Amino acid sequence: MRRLATLSLIAFALFGQSEQRKPDRRVSIVAERFTFNPSKITLKQGELVEFVLTSDDTDHGFRIPEAGIDVAIPPQGRGEVRVRFIAREKGRYAFECSRPCGAGHNLMRGTIIVK
Amino acid sequence: MDFHVNKERGDSFRPDFHRFVLLFGHSFSERIKFWSELELEHALVEGGEESGEVALEQAYLDFLIKPWLNVRAGMLLTPLGIINERHEPPSFNGVERPFVDTLIIPSTWREFGLGLTGDLGRGFRYRAYLVSSLDASRFDAEQGITEGLTAGFDASFRNPAKTARLEFAGIRKLTLGASLYTGHAGFNTAGINPRVTIGEFDGRYSFRRLDLRGLFANTWISRAAELNRSLERQTGVNPNVGRQLRGYYLEPAFHLLPRRWRHDAILFGRYEKYNTQHRMPEGFAPLPQFDRSSWVTGVTYKPHADVAIKFDYVFNRNKSSVVRPIDGINLGLGWWF
Repeated sequence: MRRLATLSLIAFALFGQSEQRKPDRRVSIVAERFTFNPSKITLKQGELVEFVLTSDDTDHGFRIPEAGIDVAIPPQGRGEVRVRFIAREKGRYAFECSRPCGAGHNLMRGTIIVK
Repeated sequence: MDFHVNKERGDSFRPDFHRFVLLFGHSFSERIKFWSELELEHALVEGGEESGEVALEQAYLDFLIKPWLNVRAGMLLTPLGIINERHEPPSFNGVERPFVDTLIIPSTWREFGLGLTGDLGRGFRYRAYLVSSLDASRFDAEQGITEGLTAGFDASFRNPAKTARLEFAGIRKLTLGASLYTGHAGFNTAGINPRVTIGEFDGRYSFRRLDLRGLFANTWISRAAELNRSLERQTGVNPNVGRQLRGYYLEPAFHLLPRRWRHDAILFGRYEKYNTQHRMPEGFAPLPQFDRSSWVTGVTYKPHADVAIKFDYVFNRNKSSVVRPIDGINLGLGWWF
């Protein structure tokens, strides 16, 4: 049943470079109307991170505009999506829900801080 | 979308396409975004007849500045309670919204307004708006302030109300919220300008297959005695508006199927206590039929996270020995995409 319930996608989005090595970190992010938890994530420069994205309700999107990442997060019970991200430059990267999900959708956002 | 079949005791089954909602959004840029919701209620709208309604429930622009500071303006949902901003049918149990979320905190409550909203970090987020006023000339004993919503029609922004909500969602599966609304409501009642204040706190928590949600709300209406006398002089009917309204509910729910399954079946029970005449102004007596409680119990089946098939039974009670409340059976189909 677990296999049936799990849809797992892996998106590689590494500013244009594929990265096959094992991720340095895995960060689980749960989307729920109208928030990501956690909504603030601090990473080290150059660290390869795999975001494991699940939803606690409807389907959402996960978009990091500056990295060209935009994936769909399946609804609750329909599995997870994994995205790899490596930030080669220090700074702040916004991420947001890219699938209209209700009244608070516009501000369903978070920040990745790369130090 | 929200399709119901309701049956009160002694009545026949009545089908109702309660809500058909169209959502529109647009990103003008990464920093300017639009969101709207247009709703058709009860399937039919005819000029001058009491049937359905077409309502603009939301239409606002967000100007994104910083995660903790954004500006929102337009037709807004007042940020009170659990349901008003999260009213999609699959997001709550029960065919109808909780009574407290309709009679003590009216929903769907929307007003013209502008304000600030943002994420403060560590799980805290807020919304703080100035919004158009309630209209106290339409308050009454049974529904409290509910009929006083202008919903953007003939609204007044001369003396805007203030409303704010602070939410904490920093612990997984736990959301706590507190909301406040305060503002004058007398733009249609000559010589009387009562202030309406609503204080509310709520929580939602999930542990394994158990969900728990609860809410407490209290409304204060100043100068309620003068308001009653003034409206009685105008209309010939004493609306008997209370000076305090109070309601709360607690809803445990149990997921019958494991969370990881594609389908979900939720058994729930909700106890609600709500009184639109919790405290009366001096010289006015409360009517016991408005001191009400309800037990709502039923099942929500979700073949998909965005599709809910709902059944519930509602036991209504009040303190009156004369006016008997009517129990009801509800069957609902709700979906959204």
